[in-house]
Amino acid sequence: MPTNFRINGRFVSVGEDTDTPLLWVIRDELGLKGTKFGCGIGMCGACTVHVGGRPTRSCITPISAVDGAEITTIEGLHPEGDHPVQQAWRDLQVPQCGYCQSGQIMQAVTLLKDFPTPTDADIDAVMAGNLCRCMTYPRIRAAIKAAAARSVGQVNHE
Amino acid sequence: MNRPLRSNEELVLSRRTFLISSAAATAVFSFAPPASAANFLPLPDPFKAEGGPLFEPTIWFSIDANGITSINIAKAEMGQHIGTALARILADELEADWSQVRLVGVDTDPKWGPMITGGSTSVWSTYPVFSQAGAAGRMTLIEEGAKLLGVSPQSCVARQGRVESDGRSIGYGEIVRRGDLSRRFNADDLKNLTTKTPDKRTLIGKPTRALDIPPKTKGQAVYGIDAEVEGMLFARPKLPPTRYGSKVLAIDDTAARKVKGYVRSIALDDPSGTVPGWVMVIAESYPAAVKATDMVQVSWRNDETAHVSDKDLQAHATMLIADPAAGAVLNTGGGDVDAAFGQAKSSIEATYTTAGVLHFQLEPVNAMAFERDGVMEIHTGNQAQSFILPVLSKALALPPEKIVMRSYLIGGGFGRRLNGDYSVPAALAAKALQRPVKMILTRADDSVLDSIRSPTVQTLRIGFDADQNPVAMDHAAVAGWPTKAMVPIGLVKGTNGALYDPFSIAGADHWYDMGITRVRAINNDLAQKSFRPGWLRAVAPGWTNWALESFIDEAAHKIGQDPLAFRLARFTSRGINAGSAPNAVGGAHRQANVLRRVAERAGWGRKLPANSGLGLGTSFGQDREMPTWCACAAEVEVDRKTGVVSVRKLWLDIDAGSIIDPDGARAQAEGAMLWGLSMALYEGTDFANGKVRDTNLDTYTPVRISDVPEFDIAFVDSTEVPMGLGEPPTTVVAPAIGNAIFAATGIRLRRLPIRPSDVLDAIAHT
Amino acid sequence: MKSPFGTLYSTNITPDRETGIGAWSKDAFRRAMHEGVARDGSHLFPGFPYDHFTKISDDDVDAIYAFLMTQPAVHAPAHPNELMFPLGIRALQAGWKLLFFRSGRFEPSTDHDAQWNRGAYIAEALSHCSACHTPRNPLGAEWGGASRYTGASVDGWFAPAITAANPSPIPWTPDELRAYLFQGLSRFHGTPSGPMSPAAHGLTALSISDQDALVTYIASLRGGNAPPQAVADAITRALDVSAANTGRQIDPDARFYVEACASCHYNGRAGINPSRPDLALNSAVHLADSANLIRVILFGIDAPEGAGGVVMPAFGPGFSDAEVARIAAYLRRTRTNEPPWPNLEKTVGKIRAQGKGEG
Repeated sequence: MPTNFRINGRFVSVGEDTDTPLLWVIRDELGLKGTKFGCGIGMCGACTVHVGGRPTRSCITPISAVDGAEITTIEGLHPEGDHPVQQAWRDLQVPQCGYCQSGQIMQAVTLLKDFPTPTDADIDAVMAGNLCRCMTYPRIRAAIKAAAARSVGQVNHE
Repeated sequence: MNRPLRSNEELVLSRRTFLISSAAATAVFSFAPPASAANFLPLPDPFKAEGGPLFEPTIWFSIDANGITSINIAKAEMGQHIGTALARILADELEADWSQVRLVGVDTDPKWGPMITGGSTSVWSTYPVFSQAGAAGRMTLIEEGAKLLGVSPQSCVARQGRVESDGRSIGYGEIVRRGDLSRRFNADDLKNLTTKTPDKRTLIGKPTRALDIPPKTKGQAVYGIDAEVEGMLFARPKLPPTRYGSKVLAIDDTAARKVKGYVRSIALDDPSGTVPGWVMVIAESYPAAVKATDMVQVSWRNDETAHVSDKDLQAHATMLIADPAAGAVLNTGGGDVDAAFGQAKSSIEATYTTAGVLHFQLEPVNAMAFERDGVMEIHTGNQAQSFILPVLSKALALPPEKIVMRSYLIGGGFGRRLNGDYSVPAALAAKALQRPVKMILTRADDSVLDSIRSPTVQTLRIGFDADQNPVAMDHAAVAGWPTKAMVPIGLVKGTNGALYDPFSIAGADHWYDMGITRVRAINNDLAQKSFRPGWLRAVAPGWTNWALESFIDEAAHKIGQDPLAFRLARFTSRGINAGSAPNAVGGAHRQANVLRRVAERAGWGRKLPANSGLGLGTSFGQDREMPTWCACAAEVEVDRKTGVVSVRKLWLDIDAGSIIDPDGARAQAEGAMLWGLSMALYEGTDFANGKVRDTNLDTYTPVRISDVPEFDIAFVDSTEVPMGLGEPPTTVVAPAIGNAIFAATGIRLRRLPIRPSDVLDAIAHT
Repeated sequence: MKSPFGTLYSTNITPDRETGIGAWSKDAFRRAMHEGVARDGSHLFPGFPYDHFTKISDDDVDAIYAFLMTQPAVHAPAHPNELMFPLGIRALQAGWKLLFFRSGRFEPSTDHDAQWNRGAYIAEALSHCSACHTPRNPLGAEWGGASRYTGASVDGWFAPAITAANPSPIPWTPDELRAYLFQGLSRFHGTPSGPMSPAAHGLTALSISDQDALVTYIASLRGGNAPPQAVADAITRALDVSAANTGRQIDPDARFYVEACASCHYNGRAGINPSRPDLALNSAVHLADSANLIRVILFGIDAPEGAGGVVMPAFGPGFSDAEVARIAAYLRRTRTNEPPWPNLEKTVGKIRAQGKGEG
């Protein structure tokens, strides 16, 4: 039984075993390499994608769970990669090695959807699940605030 | 809410689904170039170099007829934005138009010289080479440009990619098109060139945008784990119970055969001894390889290290350190230290220990390998191709010129990828299967295989004369030695003739004037057998400076002196601590300077609330030949009920000479400082049953965003030779915190990491 | 369906003549629905809830029959049931019926209005809510009287009380019932999962007036609304605890929870976001039975369940039993005033071994 879902606006049907983690289907079957493998147990956030608009750790989400769902990856966030969060990430030169940053950005986008003007406590709680081993945290915090300031009064892209 | 899928929408079948339904999908490999290597620093298309004349005065850069300057980067890009920094050194001297510069990440080739990215040496070691290369280009372009303009070279200046004279100018591209640029420079020519004085710099030290960042915000950056080639199989290793002494007796894959996509399991035959006892589980997809590996049963014969625990390692180290003849003695100026202690009126001694630390670089180690035209290609992110190529050559029984390593972005290095051990099994599997193999380690596999920062034991002693001046100092450090494990040729001879790993003791050879000083490096041979000790961000000073700076604090308190004043008085800049050009101009005075600055900024001496304290730590980075002067002040509050140490604020002061890319430098300092915090309070793993106990984030707990304290980082404004930045600031944070805890509570903690339980224990014992 | 007596398998109710009900007359179908007797005269097991269906009006039973008979026939032989001896003997069901089964159509209550009665008919006869939410006696019949709707285990889950005995910090109001049952998401109570998920999906087919009727009836079971102040207080408490343990701290349990869960479950001071199920309010954390919480942590919630299109990932494969137990115990300790769950780690192991099942 194939699993059907939409990803970045396209309908896909995949024939992998239903317990296959969504992450590997996204990366290796659909060729969207921007979503990364970090810990495999849902505790680093590098694999974060949006399922139904909610941040979801794709490494521990079996594809059976997303049947009929709508998925967005970093590649589908904005056609030119110019989502306000992505712009803020560049303005503040957040990434170092960059490996976790797709997940950080995907998480931050939903943070701002839920908390349009987040406090430090909001950022701490919602972003603590995303490990940055280069420790770009101070810039992540600053970029979230910059994106929030930029987005005030604007409609979110998603 | 659930949205129904409409059947008239575009249907995109995944590759695998397509393969399943297509009977003709037998293995036909086409070696289309994988999304890789040279384009790992992607830039927009207009920058694409075109055919035609190329000005290439050295191997390091070229300028094409459109004036596009391509700079070859032989250093690994792992978050330091190193390509940007190095290119700006060259472009500054070349007077190139920065908007016309592109970076080229290169694959292994002997012409690049040693390919090693570590020790925070990239800027320092490349600076003279790239300055000269840029200067050579500039001079040639001025000469040819002057000819084309019909003026004398002396009347010309180069600026922003053009040669100018009296209001007329000609672009570099046009010079390349029309001029005679056949001149080549050899190494001696380059050395004799004069380079710019600091006041003429146009790019160095000026704000810029790192070129590797934009793709990293769009999911477009290509890392080793993203490499793929048609027809490749996936592999996950079944790791043996011990790092070295395991031998495969039997493999039973009965259960694994039920996994869809499972291919086979192979025991590797590795003449290089890098991965003895490894079994590679091969499958058509990575999830299948993961699942199958859990089901494959392997029996091994293993060595005694299968039972080694942290306690064993520590007990062994304690035994070694007690033997005065053990280890290698460093050259620290000579003198009879035992006699000096004999004459001392009083002394102080303490033992410091540190737990093992995982690299936990977020991209688990991986490599893809395949043979093409008799050459083994290894696609992987790596920090030290020059270390692993000879090993690969031995493992594959291939001459080095038949092996090429293709470069990728690195999803976190921190020293893990200086050890290229992970490329060996991928290459061996590709050789055995005669098919492309991509191996990825799971996170737990990665942690178990990690070449961790060795657990250590150190004993320090200071002797004082009747006036309470230090007259003798002894520092012995026992650790597993990375250089011995991976490039034994890099061991150095001590004054007693014994070999030692400079990366296991650096930092203990400090710039303080402590009288007659002895520094001893002792190898923990049990550690050496049980795991592969690694270079981890800052390496030895991560432990030596923790012990040294904590102990200096202890010594100051013992004789009733202010820890800041005690330190400053010892930075005499006399004798071997005077420093010398070009790298260590000013010597210990520059270390005193950053310490004084940081103490002032932190308000040293101000009154703090109960259970709060301010502590200092300072260091010269990692290597006396390349000192990056650092100092840190930490303000902490200790909760006596829970033992929790809250770091309220960190101040950091750095003198790294000239700063090339100010924002990149700051980013490195921020990361290094938080690594220091992480290793002080949050990270550390014990060893149990021959392995690290913590293998994933459920129990291994590096700093998260919520742990970041307030901080304030300052750089000394300097035009001295640029030093390294990625690691040195890590070394001062832990001792500053430890010393602040002492200031807050009177408790002296001598083990890293500092856990709340350690604080509570110490409180209970005072 | 798993029961304390073994596993029952539902049978084919398509109009296939051989394996389904194609050969059944309207009367035979009525007899099955109303009396629990099959066409061949054998007794049906009460896993088929004829004790509820007996309350369905003749007209509605006929309508169900008509509907089923227009469905495509599927050939699907019945899976043998796995009941412990001697319960598998159908003849013995006669005794069970004698003891516990009362045949008869739904009788409206004169104490209540027509809307309430319509809701009661839907709940008691058609939706048979109490089949899951009412505890059963040792012989598997629903307890009556005060025990009705006080919660029961079903298929490895716990169907919580829908009376005043429900332990949720914020009592179920008609608005929240409506959001939960028909929109798949209540801001205070979370999302239907496990066996409640298909139930809620089915209920979305009800007309608006039937939905209102059902909500009126269910809300009446808890006897009166909660005072608004109690609701406000519970929210404040939840937000306090949500905020309390997210900053810099080294309590290993809090840290583990924040790193694994808070990215989705934290709520800011501004209020409860329904898309961020607050675990200080969620019933799974407050129930005496830990099964629901453990199941959701281990196996997650799929997109088609609960709040449609949204997923909770499965933490089971990555976490040990002890770690799942740690998170559950931490939530229980910090989010409720209930006593700790005993033997948590063992319970996690047991539920993990049971597997996700049909959930």
